Amino acid sequence: MRGLKSTTGAALLVLLFILPLMLSLMLLAPGLVDFDNFQALLAHPQFWGALRLSFFTGITSTVLALLLAIVVIMNATPKLLSRSSSFLALPHLALALGLGLILAPTGLFARIFVGGASPPDWQLVQDPNGFGLMAALVLKETPFFVWTMAMVLQGDDLRMAFQQQTLAARSMGHGPRSSFLKIILPQILARTTWPIIAVFSYGMTVVDMALVIGPTQPPTLAQLLWTDLNDGEVASNARGAAGTLLLSGSIVVIPLSVWLVLKVMPPLLRPLLTQPAKPERNLLFISRAIWQVLVLIYMIVVFVLVLQSITMLSPYPALIAEHYSLQSWESVFHNPAPLIVSLFMGLATSLVAVIAVVSWFETQEPRRDNIALAASLIMLCFPALLVALGQYRLLLQLGLTGTGVGLFFAHLMPVTAYVFIMLQGPYRNYDVRWHSVAHGLAVTRLKFLTHVKWPMLKASLLSAAAVGFAVSVAQFLPAQLAAAGRFSTLPMEAVTLSSGGNRALISTYGLLLMLLPLMGFSLSSWLSRSRWHSA
Amino acid sequence: MLELQNISIGLRNRVLITSCSFTVAAGEVVTVMGESGSGKSSLLSYVGGDLGVAFAATGDVRLDGQSVLRQAPEQRGIARLFQDDLLFPHMTVGENLLFAVPKLPRGERLEMVRTALQRAELDGYEDRAPHTLSGGQRQRVSLMRALLAKPKAILLDEPFSKLDKTLRQNIRDHVFGHIAARGIPGILVTHDREDAPQGGRVLKIFSTAEVRDV
Repeated sequence: MRGLKSTTGAALLVLLFILPLMLSLMLLAPGLVDFDNFQALLAHPQFWGALRLSFFTGITSTVLALLLAIVVIMNATPKLLSRSSSFLALPHLALALGLGLILAPTGLFARIFVGGASPPDWQLVQDPNGFGLMAALVLKETPFFVWTMAMVLQGDDLRMAFQQQTLAARSMGHGPRSSFLKIILPQILARTTWPIIAVFSYGMTVVDMALVIGPTQPPTLAQLLWTDLNDGEVASNARGAAGTLLLSGSIVVIPLSVWLVLKVMPPLLRPLLTQPAKPERNLLFISRAIWQVLVLIYMIVVFVLVLQSITMLSPYPALIAEHYSLQSWESVFHNPAPLIVSLFMGLATSLVAVIAVVSWFETQEPRRDNIALAASLIMLCFPALLVALGQYRLLLQLGLTGTGVGLFFAHLMPVTAYVFIMLQGPYRNYDVRWHSVAHGLAVTRLKFLTHVKWPMLKASLLSAAAVGFAVSVAQFLPAQLAAAGRFSTLPMEAVTLSSGGNRALISTYGLLLMLLPLMGFSLSSWLSRSRWHSA
Repeated sequence: MLELQNISIGLRNRVLITSCSFTVAAGEVVTVMGESGSGKSSLLSYVGGDLGVAFAATGDVRLDGQSVLRQAPEQRGIARLFQDDLLFPHMTVGENLLFAVPKLPRGERLEMVRTALQRAELDGYEDRAPHTLSGGQRQRVSLMRALLAKPKAILLDEPFSKLDKTLRQNIRDHVFGHIAARGIPGILVTHDREDAPQGGRVLKIFSTAEVRDV
């Protein structure tokens, strides 16, 4: 390890992640000045409707989820905060599939609350206003915001300070709600800007969820572009690329204008912070209710997925099926390609990403981290559609489209971004005095790493790998673009199935999308349990 | 006047304080000394109304003749100073002070902030960020902030322990001077006898959990 030069250490991360990301984005740049394509886009009969739907679902879902999360956090107990991570186990796509099944005219919801001889004539999902998609996004992002805010609230560096600041505020006559909103919340929001932008970007541009539960006539802009990009016509492809750039532009413009407004608004907003104390009613009941409804919906979704996956024949409006069987689970093993590809990609990318990130941290000065961090934030905050398109163009240049190697690279990039962000804190906060102690004992660098440092960081390394694995399994776009549809993955199979009527198979793939990451997380927490705990 | 009547505090199976009673007159500061972990901060938390649920505590706290036990911390009118100044980092010095000023016409509230800054010898520091102030300046702002809330009593939880020796005397005089001028009762807890005001009453928490004059 000692001989490893700084450049060699950085090489992995630069070659596998930073450079391909930059090249991918650069290859899209010429499209910015190709005005014909933008004109073609604006002339698309569904363009304005699609744009309106994207803005509606993206903006409202982010704002609503943030507001709900704030109300929950305001009265959250430490127990609730520490449990908020369990919501992350249900992937976006699985939630959309489950909700789709429940709210469909022949779904559980109609069977319980409507009944009658024939299914109701409603469209609760894939509704023309995008409410179904918006609801799914709110359900998924509210617990995510609670979790990100909980990380800040419970962080070792701030937990005590927040408690004492609240105490100080209350001793000055401010109630719990006023203390939270004026003292704690502004400090949390300042530290969660990037996750908020990432969620907004996701909501505005998500393809897989929208295909399952989003509006269709017109669809959201991301779906419209997706159709264009997968079209055989070159002109359609170019129009789709122009639209992707346009959509990405709005992802930059909207948060930027919010930020500008906040910068210009202080004369209007800041006085709110120093409003005098007044008697207040606690919203404890509402906070609890929101959380309990979320828990309930998640439980119902998982329950329905499990039940549907073994339900063979269940004519409306029967609640109990006529016939149960494991047939659809068996069919997964008769056609194991999607499962194997997803599993292999997940394992390979998370392993390579952890190796690349660790060799970066071991050989680079901390001040250089900003380069890799910027690349990671770009990866997470830019629309996945934009990056996927760039990756496709890059692979085309390299002659790697439609190959397993190409798919691997396409999956590796987002995985690396997450692994880097997950590991930066634990790695850079590692106490250097351990190194000095080891030096004093004349231990070699390699032995120090394998016997002292990495075992001490084991939990962080394993959980970063588990997150990376989950991120890889959830990737939908690369299989279609980078791999040109030659490899089938679980999300791709699930989305394809969702337009058909095989409810058992849809549920089975929805569950697989959840089970794979869940196994990764369980394995990582089992492996990182403390050796002193089991005694 | 602040009266502590027969207060006992326990944590799990351990008795920290047993039947502690004393009275603090308006303008007086009574010092309670104890080792770390002796329960002196818990005593303040009980008076202030934020003792953790893990503690078991009994006894009455009366402020100007009224029991405050059933009131939430924000309703008690009891100010606090801590080891850390706890100035809110996202607010300016002026905003920190304004946050504490009770409901009044806005002009009057701002005027009170200006007066408080003058008293703290920090004229013109309104728009400064708290982290640009020295430790002594911050603790002075913190005191002013506590007093701006018009408290009926004040609790001091080792507010001098993080200041260096030369500054300490200065801030001590400042704090005790302002409390005396306000004419409100105060309780100081500390492990350092030198922190106590000159000639003031000093109690100690003994390892037997008794609290007696020393």
